[in-house]
Amino acid sequence: MGMLRIMSRRGDDRITWDFRKVVENDPEAVAAIEEAERIFEKTRQEGATAFKVEAGSTVERIDKFDRKAEQIVIVPRVVGG
Amino acid sequence: MLETLSLFLGIWLLFLLLAIYYLSQSPDGSVGRFRESVSGHLSAESRAKALLREMLTESQYQQLIKFGYLEIASPSIDNRVYRVPGSGGLVKVYERGCAVMELCLQPAEPLPDGDVVVMHKLMIEGNEQEYLQKANHFAPGIISLRCQHL
Repeated sequence: MGMLRIMSRRGDDRITWDFRKVVENDPEAVAAIEEAERIFEKTRQEGATAFKVEAGSTVERIDKFDRKAEQIVIVPRVVGG
Repeated sequence: MLETLSLFLGIWLLFLLLAIYYLSQSPDGSVGRFRESVSGHLSAESRAKALLREMLTESQYQQLIKFGYLEIASPSIDNRVYRVPGSGGLVKVYERGCAVMELCLQPAEPLPDGDVVVMHKLMIEGNEQEYLQKANHFAPGIISLRCQHL
């Protein structure tokens, strides 16, 4: 399962998808991953940063949506205080 | 006299409770909005706490609970540690145990405290150079006030 988590004032919003079902063209899985990709692009355009977080690996900043990622966390735009 | 006073007080309290009840039932009532706001805040905090719990190791989580901060080793600079406070404020930077600077970086939109800790952790571990570029740098100990959200 893949998961996109978007941090916001409401806590994190989540979208999950099953990559195996995406490969099988399952309509719900395809819709979920497309929605995740859309949000990924939109938030990145707004200045957010995306990180791929996987168990046992170091955190990696990503600029392109990774369909096979275990978990992607989107951090909103940050500013020096 | 005391009985009359108690009676008036009882009636007044009853009206007050009725008023609060009707306001809370009204979709655009101020108490209803207040209740939604409090419930939304609690929900955001609990989600942030769950994310924090998932993102930290057991020892990191215990450190945060016990000492109120999370220490993150720099992935690129030897002997550098970032000390991220659990409830907002400046991030203290230590090298070989000595404070060398303090950093102020915050999300452009307010986030629950738990999410802010995760934000610092992800940015330090996955994007340290940009983290350092965007943060405002201060000499250690000069500013101790909590940063306010923009």
